[in-house]
Amino acid sequence: MTNLANLDYVMLAVYLIGTMALGVYIGRRLKTGSDLFLAGRSLPWWAIGMSLVATDIGGTDIIGVGGQAYRYGMAVSNFEWIGCIPAMIIAAFVFVPFFWRTGVYTIPELMERRFNVGARTLLSFCWVVFMACNLGIMLLASAKLMSVLLGWDQSMAIWVTAIMVGVYTIFGGLAAVVYTDVIQCAVMIIGCLIVLVIGLAEVGGPAGLRASLEKLEQERVVASSAEDPGGEDTEAISEDDKYLALVLPVDTKTPFPWTGILFGLAMILSPAYWIGNQAIVQRSLGAKSDYQAKAAYVMGALLKNIIPIIVAVPGLIALIKFPELRDGDHAFPTLVAQLLPSGLRGVFLASFLAALMSSIDSYLNSSASLLTNDFYKRFARPDATDRQLLLIGRIVTTLLLMWAIYFAFLIIHMESGIYAIFQTLMAFFQGPALAMLMTGLLWKRATGTGAIVGFLGGICTAVTLYTLNQPAVYQAMGWKPLFQIEEPFLYFSIWAFLVALVLIIVVSFLTKREPDEKIRYCVFGEIKKETV
Amino acid sequence: MTILHTIGDFVRDGLGLIPLSYIRILFVAILVALLLWVLMLPNRETTPPDTKPTWANNLKTWAAITLLLQIAIYSIF
Repeated sequence: MTNLANLDYVMLAVYLIGTMALGVYIGRRLKTGSDLFLAGRSLPWWAIGMSLVATDIGGTDIIGVGGQAYRYGMAVSNFEWIGCIPAMIIAAFVFVPFFWRTGVYTIPELMERRFNVGARTLLSFCWVVFMACNLGIMLLASAKLMSVLLGWDQSMAIWVTAIMVGVYTIFGGLAAVVYTDVIQCAVMIIGCLIVLVIGLAEVGGPAGLRASLEKLEQERVVASSAEDPGGEDTEAISEDDKYLALVLPVDTKTPFPWTGILFGLAMILSPAYWIGNQAIVQRSLGAKSDYQAKAAYVMGALLKNIIPIIVAVPGLIALIKFPELRDGDHAFPTLVAQLLPSGLRGVFLASFLAALMSSIDSYLNSSASLLTNDFYKRFARPDATDRQLLLIGRIVTTLLLMWAIYFAFLIIHMESGIYAIFQTLMAFFQGPALAMLMTGLLWKRATGTGAIVGFLGGICTAVTLYTLNQPAVYQAMGWKPLFQIEEPFLYFSIWAFLVALVLIIVVSFLTKREPDEKIRYCVFGEIKKETV
Repeated sequence: MTILHTIGDFVRDGLGLIPLSYIRILFVAILVALLLWVLMLPNRETTPPDTKPTWANNLKTWAAITLLLQIAIYSIF
C-alpha cells in the first residue's frame, strides 16, 4: 500500500490543507465559550447530521468493520443498522429537542439539574477519563494504520495527526469540528463508494458476489462436516454459516448472537451512545433550533442506512478476491492496494484520514467541554465570563491534546489488544450511565442518591463479570467461562444496566423524593414546553 | 459452577429454544412499531414552527423512509 504515486499525494495534500484552512477560518469568528463549545448555537441540521455520522465512523472502524465482515459476514452491520437507527429516531423526537431546550452545555450538567452535583461529577469524571485515554488510543491507532498505509514512522504519524487535528479544534471549536466533519463525511463516503463499486465490478456485481458467497458457504459446511462426520444434519447450511445473515443464533461462533445485538446493543449501548455520549449529543446542542436538532438526527439515521454497504460489503468482496488473508483487518487495505488505480488510492487515503480526524476532533472538543464546564466553571470559577471560558477552553483543549500525545507514546509498545480493552471499559459504564439518564429523564420518583448508588453498583457489576470471565481467574477457580462467546462486552452492558436500574429504583423508594424544581427536568415535565 | 453460571445457562438455554425465524419477526416488529409511533407523532413535533409544513420539511417523511429501508433490510436478510 506504500507504493503511492505523486497524484495520490496531491489528493491527500489538497484534502489536508483544505480541512485545516477551513477550521482556522472558522476560528477567527470565535468570541465566547459558547462559540467554542456550542458554535454559538448556529449550526444547521445538515452539517450536524453529517458530523454525527463522521464522528461515529472512525478510521479504525472502516478497517475493523471490513475486517469483521471478512471474518464473520454481514452480521457486523447490526452495529450500524438496528444498533443505531432506532435509537437515533427515538433520540430525535424525544430526547434531543428536550436537551436543546434546557440550554445545557453537557449531559452531566443536566444530571445536576435533575439530581445533584454528585451525579454530575461522577458521570463527567467517567466520560473525561474514558475520552482522554481514548484520544491517545485513537492517535496511536491512526499512527499504526498510517505506518502500514503510508509507510510513515509511527512517532511522526502521531505528531502529524495531533497537530493537524489540534490546530483547527483549538482555534475553531465545535463549529470547526462540525464543518470539517461535513467535508470528512463526504470524502469518507466517496472514498469507500469507489472501493465498493470497483470491487463489485471485479466479482461480477451484486449477483456475482451473492453467488460466490453461497459457494463459500457450501465449502464451509463441507469442511466442518469433514471435521465432525458424526454430527447431525451436517450438510445443511445454518444461519451461522450464512455470510449475509443479520440475525445469528444464541450459540453463534461469532461475537454477534441476536441476544447481544438486541438486548445489549440495540437496547442499551446504542441509546447510551446516541442519547448520553457527550461527543455525539454536543453538536445537536449547538443547533439553531430544536427542529434543526431533530432534523440532524433524522438525517444521520438516514445516512446510516448506507454505511454498512460501503464499509462492510468491501470486506465480503475481499473474502472472494483474497480468501487467504491471515488477518481480516487487512481486507480493506488489500482491496485498496490491489484494485484502485493511482489518484483514487489518494482519494481513499484521504477518506481514511477523514474518518480518523473526525472522531479525534470530536472527542477532543467534547472532553474539553466536560472539563471546562463540569469542573473548572462548576468548582473553580462559577463566575467566569463567557470570554474567559473561551480562553480556558482553548487551554484545556491544548492540555488534553498534549496528554493524548503522551498517552499514545506511553502505550505504543503495549500489546495491540489495548484498543479492545478500552472499548470494553466503555461498555462498563455506558449501561449504568444509561440507567441514570433514563430514570432521571423518564421517572419522577428517581432520586440523586439512587442514581449515584445505581451508577456505581452497575459499574461494579460489569467489572466483576469481566474479572470472572478472564481465563486466569476462572481457570484458577476451576470454573467454566461465564460467557460462551468471544468478546462478550455486549453482555456486560446488559447486566450492568439491569443491576444499575434495580438499584436506582430500590434506593429511590428508600430515599426522599426530589423537590419540584428538580423534577421539572424530566422529559415530560415543564421543560417540554418551554425554552430555558 | 456458581449461581452466576446457573443463571447464565438458564437464560441462554431458554432463549436458545426460540426459533430463529421468530426472532427475525421480532426484529422487524420492533422496527414496524417504531414506524407506527413516528407516523402517529403530532405534526407540530415534526415540522418547523415558522415555515409552511410540506412533505419535504416534515421529519416524519424522512424518519419513515429510514425505517422502511430498515424493515426491508431485516425482512430480506
